[in-house]
Amino acid sequence: MSIQWPLVFFTLFVGLGCGTFVGSVLLTEWAGKAKQIRTISSMIAIVALGIGGIASTLHLGHPERMFGALAHPTSGIFMESTMIFLLGLTIVVYLLAIRRNASEPVCKSIGTIGIVLGVVLAFVNGDAYVMASIPAWNTWILPVLYVISAALMGCFSTGILIARAENADATALAVIKKAALAILAIQTVLLAAYLGHIAIAPYPDATRSMARILTGNLALLFWGGLVLAGLLAPAALMTRFYMNKARNISALATVQLGLACVLVAGVAFRVLMFSVGSSVRQFF
Amino acid sequence: MSQRTMVVDLDRCFGCKSCEVACKQENGVALGCTWNKVLTVGPSGTYPKVEMYYLPAMCQECKDAPCVKACPTGSSYKNSDGVVLIDKEKCIGCRYCMMACPYGVRTFNEETKVVEKCTLCTQLQAVGQEPACVKICPAKCRFVGDSDDPNSEVAKVINAAGSDSVHGLPDVGNKPSTRYILHRKTATWKE
Repeated sequence: MSIQWPLVFFTLFVGLGCGTFVGSVLLTEWAGKAKQIRTISSMIAIVALGIGGIASTLHLGHPERMFGALAHPTSGIFMESTMIFLLGLTIVVYLLAIRRNASEPVCKSIGTIGIVLGVVLAFVNGDAYVMASIPAWNTWILPVLYVISAALMGCFSTGILIARAENADATALAVIKKAALAILAIQTVLLAAYLGHIAIAPYPDATRSMARILTGNLALLFWGGLVLAGLLAPAALMTRFYMNKARNISALATVQLGLACVLVAGVAFRVLMFSVGSSVRQFF
Repeated sequence: MSQRTMVVDLDRCFGCKSCEVACKQENGVALGCTWNKVLTVGPSGTYPKVEMYYLPAMCQECKDAPCVKACPTGSSYKNSDGVVLIDKEKCIGCRYCMMACPYGVRTFNEETKVVEKCTLCTQLQAVGQEPACVKICPAKCRFVGDSDDPNSEVAKVINAAGSDSVHGLPDVGNKPSTRYILHRKTATWKE
């Protein structure tokens, strides 16, 4: 499968939107910290979802026929569209509730619905690619990696909003740092598991071989994009930050760098996924 | 049930690619698009025991077609005779069907922005003619018909070849119906 750039950015921005909203609601409504970021984080999430949605239409040859998808509600593309609409609607309702000074339980309930929808949407984004026809994609690890990728992007984007906020809550930043490190650890395990899946996937082929990923023409993408930018750099940033050794780097710069790293890694992972996404037999 | 499909006798195919050209001409297949392609498998082995065969690849007319399941608009569908077809008026060009095909035998037309594939020349069969690739084949290695009908030509060709010499492409649950005949005396079938 050639690299489908609109889908790369579709899933990246949708992941960013899901992660930002879920991270923000968990921090503000469930942990009761940094409540001042609720509005801005929700707006960023809805903008990210919108950009993702626009990116997805760029992939379609005939977006004007999109309503034909109503004829097949179990298809991946229909489920993704529906989930984006539902999450967007929930975020709008959440913003209205904040605007109208709704009670904490109300905001928390709406936010929690958004958390569920956000996690499911990030999962569905990856699950749409799980198919027996493409051995390298045919694993549950793929959608879970999409969820983890969204969580990581959400961590850093939420961290930026906290760091930028007036009277930034230091304890909220500490929570973000711990969460980012935990998610990075999970992502490392999942990435190793995904490589393991590719190694043992049926119908081996040079296009999806470990040699191509580790030492071949995808090595730069893997080692540079996934390992260095996606794991080592954000982990180093968070560890130094967390241990308060990087006094010369501001908290804001650290999380901004972290987000840049995980966005690069997000693109790298999706490009790698398409690059190894050859069919059982790729005849044409 | 009816399952119109193709049987290709690889013992006879000598890779002239007439079928590729006939398919392009009959169906007006755009430049850069492919509905039917003759691949070379091999050579493999060590001299003097070297073998090679030609594999004409096209839609395998899967009985449980994953492209049909993946299509969000119902544009890809199975016809009453079992042939998988595309209603180009409904296609949104999302290319999920191309991802879902285990053999990568669908093609995206950059001009019309829709996905295309082999139709077994439904337009010719509707007027009692054979598909263009079948008609043109100088080796007479292609057969088309209902594989579920024991009296059809394809069923007879398959029976005559013997089960050891009848092969199909890897099945990942899609149940490809196209069959290839290749006897050991010609070459060893590569999975």
